[in-house]
Amino acid sequence: MSESTRSTRAVCAIFAVAAAGLGGCAINPPQPWEKGNLAKPEMTMGADPLDQRFVQHIYGSKENASGGYGVGGGGCGCN
Amino acid sequence: MPRAATAWAGVAVAATDARDKAGAIIAAALALPGVVAHADNAPEHGQVAVKYLDYRDSQPGFDRIKVKAPSIYVLAPLSPKWAVEGSLVSDSVSGATPRYHTAISGASKMKEERIAGDVKVTRYAERSSYGFGLSHSGEHDYKSNAASFDASFSSDDSNRTWNVGVGFSADKISSTNDATLHEKKHTTELLLGVTQALTGNDLVQMNVTANAGRGYFSDPYKEPDIRPRKRDQGIVLVRWNHHFADLGSTLRSSYRFYHDNFGINAHTLGAEWVQPAGSLITVTPSARYYSQSAAKFYYDPIYDPVVGAPYPPGYFTNPPRYISPDQRLSAFGGITVGLKVALLLGADWSTDLKAEHYEQRSSWRVGGAGSPGLDAFRATFLQLGVSKRF
Repeated sequence: MSESTRSTRAVCAIFAVAAAGLGGCAINPPQPWEKGNLAKPEMTMGADPLDQRFVQHIYGSKENASGGYGVGGGGCGCN
Repeated sequence: MPRAATAWAGVAVAATDARDKAGAIIAAALALPGVVAHADNAPEHGQVAVKYLDYRDSQPGFDRIKVKAPSIYVLAPLSPKWAVEGSLVSDSVSGATPRYHTAISGASKMKEERIAGDVKVTRYAERSSYGFGLSHSGEHDYKSNAASFDASFSSDDSNRTWNVGVGFSADKISSTNDATLHEKKHTTELLLGVTQALTGNDLVQMNVTANAGRGYFSDPYKEPDIRPRKRDQGIVLVRWNHHFADLGSTLRSSYRFYHDNFGINAHTLGAEWVQPAGSLITVTPSARYYSQSAAKFYYDPIYDPVVGAPYPPGYFTNPPRYISPDQRLSAFGGITVGLKVALLLGADWSTDLKAEHYEQRSSWRVGGAGSPGLDAFRATFLQLGVSKRF
């Protein structure tokens, strides 16, 4: 199997899992009084902003892949 | 979720004490954009966070780079409808990095300062928010400026938030090795995302990002290094946070798929277990696995028998169009393990300490063989932070 075929299948699998998940949520959405746990800081996606900036900067400098978490970050000449 | 909203939720709950914890959490829930009602207003509280960051990496027998980086983050609500946030970091970088593959001989020595900052203004409206951001990063041989716009729209029941973001960055590249080098590159980003509350204990997010870059992507400190002047990237990120109500714990998990026209596919898996220990301390062990294939133009450390390193066989008789000996473009796997301890110091103050160890090895790649002939790469990251809300 070629690299591109594997990539396409991986992306399709991701979309399928995500679609299944989001479809399931429509069946049982939480009510307003059930959302207390969702407001905990550890349940937010971004969490600690300086921590996130720091580690994403490191991984972006030492690995080829980067991004996906948001827009607006610039580059650097990091070695 | 916008950064302001994220930070806001954290600030809103950070001051919770045992006496009115339940009430405060519900109040924060009612104020969390994109999850429940009342997403229309800016954060009620501001935050100032300071961190000292220490980074150092190495390979066997060779200490490479050290970075010391104090940083500050500020979030300030300006009115019920407006908020501004920003950060500033100063990197002091010293050490040396291989000029090709993991060769110690002839490594490029460096000592420099980098200043980077960003600011973002967010306008909150009924079931939506709109953010505009600017960022800058400056080194003596690399300058980057970026602008971004993002918008979030919540469903009527506030269980689903759609996010769209566009970004543009313009970079200028020069080199201490080549005074004639004055190059540029531009990158345009587009992000579409959705965040969904599946249950009262499950939050799922999916982001799809497409980046189009044009210009100079070579590394002037590698030799020989000629990369395509076009770099298109596609990224899919899925994050799932699940709260275990019985334990009071939260599992934060993520998967990211990355592909670019250099021919690299990468997979990133991450997991954090957030475990409160009493009402004041939170302990968070974490693990991350990363794997990538090699760029089409990366070459293994096999050198021309006549000319020798760093040139591959036939380099001068039949030079390739694109070529790079950069370890970061090789096929490898990487594992990070970490531990974070956070301590509440009162209603408005908190402090945290985080330590992580990272290692790359060719043999850790999944889905294919790793690139041969490279030394393992290791790094440690330390963070010490203090935060105050106001």
